[in-house]
Amino acid sequence: MTAITLANRDRKTFEVNPKRPILESLRDQGVDLPFGCKYGGCITCAAKLISGEVDQNRQVALNNRQINNGYIILCVARPLTDITIEIGVESHNQLYRNPFLDPLKPHELKADIATLEEE
Amino acid sequence: MECCGPGYSSPLEAIKAPREKLLYTISIYTGTGIQKPDYLATIDVDPKSETFSQVIHRLEMPGIGDELHHMGWNACSSCFDDGSMSRKYLLLPGVRSNNIHIVDTATDPRAPSLYKVIDGADIKSKTNLSGPHTVHCLGSEIIISMLGDAKGEAPGGYLHLNKDFEIQGRWENSMGNIKFGYDFWYQPRHNIMVSSEWAAPNTFMPGFDLEEVGHLKYGREIHFWDFEKREPIETMYLGEDGLLPLEVKFHHNPDSSHGFCGAALSSNVIHWWKDKNEKWQWEKIIDVENEPHPEWPLPVPGVMSAILLSMDDKYLYLNNWLHGDMRQYDISDPHNPKLTGQVWMGGLLGKAPIVNGVKMAGGPQMFQLSLDGKRLYVTTSLFSTWDNQFYPEIRERGGVMVMIDCDPIHGGMSLNKDFIVDFGKEPNGPSRCHEARYPGGDCTSDIWL
Repeated sequence: MTAITLANRDRKTFEVNPKRPILESLRDQGVDLPFGCKYGGCITCAAKLISGEVDQNRQVALNNRQINNGYIILCVARPLTDITIEIGVESHNQLYRNPFLDPLKPHELKADIATLEEE
Repeated sequence: MECCGPGYSSPLEAIKAPREKLLYTISIYTGTGIQKPDYLATIDVDPKSETFSQVIHRLEMPGIGDELHHMGWNACSSCFDDGSMSRKYLLLPGVRSNNIHIVDTATDPRAPSLYKVIDGADIKSKTNLSGPHTVHCLGSEIIISMLGDAKGEAPGGYLHLNKDFEIQGRWENSMGNIKFGYDFWYQPRHNIMVSSEWAAPNTFMPGFDLEEVGHLKYGREIHFWDFEKREPIETMYLGEDGLLPLEVKFHHNPDSSHGFCGAALSSNVIHWWKDKNEKWQWEKIIDVENEPHPEWPLPVPGVMSAILLSMDDKYLYLNNWLHGDMRQYDISDPHNPKLTGQVWMGGLLGKAPIVNGVKMAGGPQMFQLSLDGKRLYVTTSLFSTWDNQFYPEIRERGGVMVMIDCDPIHGGMSLNKDFIVDFGKEPNGPSRCHEARYPGGDCTSDIWL
């Protein structure tokens, strides 16, 4: 079992099966979380990883800037270690940006079109 | 002329229908931070009623996270001759969940009830489709544009339901070389369907990355289909004039070959028609200029996310979601539109931050016109993630619905001072309203065979 701590829910901790998506595990234990598509494509369930590691290879919604800012897609992400996350829209302060005021650099695009960062 | 089926014998008969007393709009909590289901709101639009301009009923969907968006009827005037059909059920697809909700609006029009849910997972497994958008009925059957495959990748296809809302499979025989899907409309007397392009669900659902337009992740083409053969026959490459070609509308007159498309990011109206040699032609007829903004490095595009034709085909209405204006054009000569009306409501340019006492968050977005062409109902939310990017304050303030009085004889439009529905004051917290429909049919639902 792996421990998931919710930083913005009084640091409440849940023991989960690391093979299952985090969203499913937390909802089964009564945590009220937003979600939409349930296959990693729509960002509604995004949360912020504070510490630890996850496998979210199946997500296709985040661009590289969002990933660098710590966002994970709970409906497909599985914990690789004990993790601490912030959940809900309170964690979304860096998730949404005005695309005209704050453009992405080429290496910050989604993985399939991003270029390597220039040193 | 009376007949037995739903709707009206012609657009001219539809215009004479009694004034709408109720309308339905979807309203969402998906993406707002409020953990409640999206719902169908009934609005009282009868000025003689004590509850005029209020939400009088809310039908919650069974689960959270659907993102209700567009709607469509089970039957329209295309079934006018079919006495076995009636305009009873409204279909409410969830863009994110893939669920399609069938709502009975006839048993009690003021308090619609959920009749059936077509499970999103069932649609995926039977058709490999997701991302439902536009709903049209054709005769007694129903087709829905689906913007992605089961994994949310473009181009998706068309879901075919029978009149009992059973999945019949894919409607189209081929998608040809079409890259993306979005809206569609058909004109049976010309055996033609036109479809447009947004993007793959996996591209647009998380929000709008402007750079992805340059990477060809968003559409810039419209497609002409052989409607009976159910396959595309010709593609119009619109290029920079047609970035994000979203809504497509044919004239209501079933003999006409003229139609229009609003290209959202280019903020242009594209007009198409069949010429004397039976060839399909297109031209740009309206170009909304980008506007300077004191805090923006680039001028602000209008973002024309919707267009609508009056039932008499005389006026075209369009929105500029980021600028904040609704416009009315006289398109009696579809090659030479004339601007005849404009109303400001919200938007980023600061021209109308407060409307009828309500501080706006968002700009004019979806709209529905009364059959007689005199009342235009306008809502302000586009799509949860896109709202969150451009109008983050909508989280606290919610969406609104306003009414614009339109003059169908001489042209012109003005804000109605007696009507506003503030979805910021909903019982479960601020929600966001989007598409609206009237029980008796409306200007974006009916097609004549």
